[in-house]
Amino acid sequence: MKRKQAAALGLAAVMAVSMCACGNSEKKESKSEGGGASDEKTITYWNIGTEDPDQSILKSAVDYFNENSDSGYQVEMTSIQNDKYKEKLVIAMSSGECPDMYTSWTGGPLQEYIESGYAQPVTDLYKEKGLDKIYMESATAQASFNDEIYAVPILNVAISGIFYNKDMFDKYSLKEPETISDLENICETLKKNDIVPFALANSTKWQGSMYYQGLATRYAGLDDFRAAFDGSGSFDAECFKYAGEKIQDWVKKGYFPEGVNSLSTDDGQDKQLLYQEQACMFYSGSWYTGTIKSDSEEFYNKLGWFPFPAADGVDKGAEYASICNGTIGDQFISFSCKDDKLKAAFDCVSYYSTEESINNMVDNGKIPPVAGVQEKLSDPLSLEICQFAESATDVQLWYDQYLPSSVANAHLDSCQELFGLTMTPEDACAATQAAMQEYIADKE
Amino acid sequence: MNKNKNSLEANNRKSVAITAVIFLLPVILFLAVYVLYPIIDTFVISTYKWNGISANRDFVGLKNWKRLLEDTKFWAAFWHNIVIMVVSVVIQIPLGLALATFLNFFTKKVRISRVFKTVWFFPYLMSSVAIGFLFTYALATNGGIISTISGWFGGQNIDLLGNPKTALLTIILIVSWQFTPFYMVYCMAGYSGISDDIYEASVIDGATRGQYFWKVALPLLKPSLISAAILSMVGSLKYFDLIYVMTNGGPGSSTELMATYMYKFSFSQFNMGYGSTVAGGMFILITAVALLTMKGLNRGGEE
Repeated sequence: MKRKQAAALGLAAVMAVSMCACGNSEKKESKSEGGGASDEKTITYWNIGTEDPDQSILKSAVDYFNENSDSGYQVEMTSIQNDKYKEKLVIAMSSGECPDMYTSWTGGPLQEYIESGYAQPVTDLYKEKGLDKIYMESATAQASFNDEIYAVPILNVAISGIFYNKDMFDKYSLKEPETISDLENICETLKKNDIVPFALANSTKWQGSMYYQGLATRYAGLDDFRAAFDGSGSFDAECFKYAGEKIQDWVKKGYFPEGVNSLSTDDGQDKQLLYQEQACMFYSGSWYTGTIKSDSEEFYNKLGWFPFPAADGVDKGAEYASICNGTIGDQFISFSCKDDKLKAAFDCVSYYSTEESINNMVDNGKIPPVAGVQEKLSDPLSLEICQFAESATDVQLWYDQYLPSSVANAHLDSCQELFGLTMTPEDACAATQAAMQEYIADKE
Repeated sequence: MNKNKNSLEANNRKSVAITAVIFLLPVILFLAVYVLYPIIDTFVISTYKWNGISANRDFVGLKNWKRLLEDTKFWAAFWHNIVIMVVSVVIQIPLGLALATFLNFFTKKVRISRVFKTVWFFPYLMSSVAIGFLFTYALATNGGIISTISGWFGGQNIDLLGNPKTALLTIILIVSWQFTPFYMVYCMAGYSGISDDIYEASVIDGATRGQYFWKVALPLLKPSLISAAILSMVGSLKYFDLIYVMTNGGPGSSTELMATYMYKFSFSQFNMGYGSTVAGGMFILITAVALLTMKGLNRGGEE
């Protein structure tokens, strides 16, 4: 009996100790990997630069800082795939291991981070380093909230526009369209020759949303959207119905690849269609200049670019056609650390605004949101994009980044259903409007 | 004399009890910390409005629960879980039983049965993420397996995952591919619990293999099959993996499950309060279904 009890006690003790030890070592591992909250001298930096050229561009500041800084801090960079990035960030924040520096797209989510205390105001440091003079005004404005600056714009003027295969256009004697009906004629010609007009992979929903935004903006400008956002208007407005109807019209005419809602953009299935010349046009953000260039310089030289054409028969058609859907800065870095650590982290980030870094970005096909960057651009596509951005009468951040998450999700879900022909444009508008109303009611 | 006997018995019982407590203590501690506390905390959080990351949270009482009861998307997700549950039980367990029966009857040709065993078990060893990735490409609309086969017969490209009507069933089939080997092994274990004497006795009595299976083996396997069914049901109600990897609830919300719905609110919509409510709702529903099933099936089993 006694031996049994002793054995039992022994086993129990071993198990208890191993559990405690496991628990502790797990904590230590995860803290040094992603947290750095207890490790004083490491600044953790999260971003979505999982591929080149983004990865090496983002890393350049880290390397420079680690070699040259005498602050005693070292920066450790972690890159996470874009689609899961936001969720991982939220999980890190809620478990007390928010990274010291992290990128975001501003908009709704950044507001949440600020209100929860995970983004520190950096207005003073920003002005001290003269960044307010270096970066474009609209970029700084996008990073501001309630008159304080909360992020540093670093990477790219990214607006949506249509990349197209110039060789194909020449082959079928097509010209860049001025109006949406021109665009539709181009699509018809391509369809007749067995080419898919638009390369689109919509499983993650935001790529399809680009078309929705472009159509709505060209039809009625930004007033309806802004009114819907602050509650004075509604997502049931004409322009949103128009966008929905057009999309379904185009789906029925076969302008998008088959099974578009099951194709994955993170797996590059839309780029594949473009590269294999099975599709001709690609309407998405202009950050693809960098991606396509590093995928294949040869193919990149075949590409042309034009902004989404104007809607026909609309009063202010020309004015609406000069509006940009997109972001001035693409990746904005926010900081959750304070005092000395914040200063050191800000130092690291200010490398992105040096001549060296800006030139590096330009060489890789990026358009850094720096005032006067046009003079540095030699790449014809980037130049065109930049000129369009600078002459824009207005800019609107992508809906799925700008809107609060619950409304953004309602929009993305209903937009995807539009592409799948499983929802009518009216119902899609109603769904988004319902989510917006709920959000506004909740806030009060 | 009696007194001595009693105290011996009592001593015996006492030391057994002490041993039992010592053995159980670490496990109870483990369960309390890692299972009981999170469940209680989930219900507590469900009474707050919290975005998951800020230090502030507002008490809202039962508001989230009221919303849950009226939330059509949640009940639609519950329905999808039920569909998975029914189809999984109908496919996976009979198929697993059939495979186990096949392997059991062919034990004479040991080498071949070993090959079959290994090959059939393989899908269960793969990670859900790997399987999701694999099948996303295999079922691609342009150039995937199904579309190519349909092309041979002169048909058109078939879109399984982007079509809200077929997406859920397609994923259920893939889940079945992954989990049937588990039920195969489960039934094989059940078979090994039936001693060879019974088979030999039935042969002596003149039973054919078929009669043996339906009239002797199956009734003996009933307890195993019942527990397998309960495992499958609870697993289906909790399911998350392949849906998250392959469609994330899409297209639209045709493959949304309770677990993915909870995940979306908790981690991408900054609404941990409501996400916890969904989790709490799941807990209650799954417990209810499991208890009802166990009572129902066990009663049937006893008779």
